[in-house]
Amino acid sequence: MIDTAVAVSGLTKIFAVPFHRRPIVAVRDLDLRVQAGEVYGLLGPNGSGKSTTLKIVLGLVSPTRGHTEIFGRDSRLVESREAVGFLPENPYFYKFLTGEETLRFFGKLSGLSGPRLKKRIDELLELVGLTNARDRRLSTYSKGMLQRVGLAQALINEPKLITLDEPTAGVDPAGSREIRNLIVDLKRRGITILLSSHLLAQVQEICDRVGILANGVLVREGQLEELIAIENQTALVLENASDALVTEIEALAGNSNAKLIERRRSTTTLERLFLEVTKDPNKQ
Amino acid sequence: MIRFLLVLVIVLVVGAAKLPIERELSAIHRQEHFRGIEFNLDLREQLGQLGFIAALSGFRSIVADVLFIQAHVAWERTEWSRVLLLFRQVTTLQPRAILFWDMGAWHMAWNASVAAMNDRSQPRFALRIKAQREYFAIGKDFLERGIKNNPERPQLYESLARLYKEKYQDHARASEFFAKAAAIPGASSYDKRFSAYELSYCDGRERGAYQRLRQLYDAGENERLPTLITRLKFLENKLNIAQDQRIPDPGP
Amino acid sequence: MAEAKHRSFSFQRVFALTVNTLIELTRQKVFYVLLIFALLLIGSSIFMARLTFQQEFQILKDVSLGAMSIFTSLLAIVATARLIPQDIEDRTIYTILAKPVPRFEYVLGKLAGVLLLLAIGTLVMSAMFLVVLYTREQTVLHETLRQMSAAPREQVDDALRAVRSSALNLDILPGVAVIYLKACLLAALTLFVSTFATTNIFTMVVMVFIYFIGHLQATAREYWLQEQSAGWITHALLAFVALLFPDLQTFNLVDDIVAGAAIPFALFAKTAALGIFYTTIYTLLAALVFYGKEL
Repeated sequence: MIDTAVAVSGLTKIFAVPFHRRPIVAVRDLDLRVQAGEVYGLLGPNGSGKSTTLKIVLGLVSPTRGHTEIFGRDSRLVESREAVGFLPENPYFYKFLTGEETLRFFGKLSGLSGPRLKKRIDELLELVGLTNARDRRLSTYSKGMLQRVGLAQALINEPKLITLDEPTAGVDPAGSREIRNLIVDLKRRGITILLSSHLLAQVQEICDRVGILANGVLVREGQLEELIAIENQTALVLENASDALVTEIEALAGNSNAKLIERRRSTTTLERLFLEVTKDPNKQ
Repeated sequence: MIRFLLVLVIVLVVGAAKLPIERELSAIHRQEHFRGIEFNLDLREQLGQLGFIAALSGFRSIVADVLFIQAHVAWERTEWSRVLLLFRQVTTLQPRAILFWDMGAWHMAWNASVAAMNDRSQPRFALRIKAQREYFAIGKDFLERGIKNNPERPQLYESLARLYKEKYQDHARASEFFAKAAAIPGASSYDKRFSAYELSYCDGRERGAYQRLRQLYDAGENERLPTLITRLKFLENKLNIAQDQRIPDPGP
Repeated sequence: MAEAKHRSFSFQRVFALTVNTLIELTRQKVFYVLLIFALLLIGSSIFMARLTFQQEFQILKDVSLGAMSIFTSLLAIVATARLIPQDIEDRTIYTILAKPVPRFEYVLGKLAGVLLLLAIGTLVMSAMFLVVLYTREQTVLHETLRQMSAAPREQVDDALRAVRSSALNLDILPGVAVIYLKACLLAALTLFVSTFATTNIFTMVVMVFIYFIGHLQATAREYWLQEQSAGWITHALLAFVALLFPDLQTFNLVDDIVAGAAIPFALFAKTAALGIFYTTIYTLLAALVFYGKEL
């Protein structure tokens, strides 16, 4: 059983641009590992090389130097993509197909057929909540629905690794929440997830490890918790604490080297509030 | 870079490999008298740029048809030199179309010649005869070239025979060409008969004509047409055939 | 989760791409516009000014087969030119190639879709053409019979035979097959050009150019191989044309078939083989370039 889902070694990608003096270095000497079963977030501003790295991992673009592997198989081999699903940014599908036809098309490309394919399509439509829209053309789908179809086609061949490029970009809060729930669910089933995003707050919720790219260089990498922990601070969250108790704790702190920096009411997130108040019981 | 060179090499190698096959096919086309239109500057002048390009691009037959229709119109206007010009172009474009050679010949030898003979603007009779005979010759030329391009089809032989018979009153040649036509599969059923008739009009060939006509007569009921019987009887008299060998008189 | 065994070539994958391409193409207006135009052209020849029946049949056949030739050639180029560039532009190609689909199968599937489309178009037009021809033939036969009702049997037979032989000549069918193969060749060549072309216009202009030069290739080739007197620049140019361009004249058999010539089977077989050969080579070249293409 191979532990490393994705291995990137010494990856460099240089794009020669016609009529420009200097070629573009999209990725520079990148090394990273994604362990099997974890959710890895590749983060960075636009143009930092996240998309390019993902595409090289998927064998869509060839590296200038270095190489990438999926479960031990070189990305340039077609078979490395046997157990891989890809959800692209701005899902790129044929708009004249219906949801079901799209899944059937990609299922056939993945080697599925017959009743097994049919069953899988039904399951996935159910999973992503598009059963009612299966016979409508993709040109009538909202952005969130397109993302969900995208996720469904990425899952069609029961992959062990899923790659998501900006999965929640441009999606409204409700849709975004659903996608993130799906990701968590997939992780629970043991699927490895590699995603790229620049929507940091959302990423913070679901990733185990992150890597931060800037100008094609990996500037930080590691467990999310460790990376964002503020070294010398501790947070306590108390329920039903009386004012007196809190004052006592403050005094205790004052008698040691520690200092109480902040005391405030716990907050939910604006997103949760938004979803709570805008929830439409009839919405699919 | 390597890929580009590889592609170039493949294209050149494949290009060289296919040359002999293409040459062979072109040779077969020429042999069958298909005329893939060659780069012919004269034709280009005549057809005009657009027509030439269209003909070149594989629409030869449509260009020929259009010209043919124009020739038809020119005929209605009795513009004989234009008719001739158009039919030359049409037969150059479509040498395998019997129709064009036939009609070209017909317009020249039958129509233009008559017009020349009756030409009011030419007072001198001798010159009118000369013009008429020139048109006969042009018509004959069309048919001869048509035959050269289509040796295995009977129609133009038949037309040439008719031309000799009607315009040159040359029954020997007419007979010869009817016979040639008759020898080709698909010929009209009357070619053999007509060949024999024509022969019967030639002085000194009566014996041969009689034998042929008699053969046809003996072949069966459908050959015993009035003309055949008339000619046979004429020859029987001329050759003094014995009474018991003569054909019976037709009934009342 | 079952580990799927990867097949290096899969008919199912190619077939899925073929059908998808076909659906995509039949949604484009160009197919219908061209088809309807061609059908109108064929159908309208029923109404043309009456010359003799020989002339009429000749013109009917010439126009119909000409329409078929231009329809299939034009469609082959126009439909194929945008296929791969469109996918790259829309980025749909990423989702497809992210699946275990070898690039060669992708190219093959796209081309197969176009070839299928061309076949359908050719069949529909052929059917229309045969119906029109048959209808006219029957009308002329009846008229002839009526006009010659008093004539002797032999003459009537001759006349009917003349009508029939100017109408349907079975050699037209291999001629149509060769028209189709020429279109296949053009489609494969267009696909090849589109893999390295920068814009659509470029592809179309190049293909139009190739179409015309291809009809001149025979002349250039013979001149190159036989003439010694021309300068070396001319020689180089002629060699360039002879080697790089396909001889499209070899695929024009219908002009002569309509004029009444018969096609020897050997000629048809060799021409067909040449067409298939070209189509295959251009497809392979397209795949070769596409493999190295930066997406």
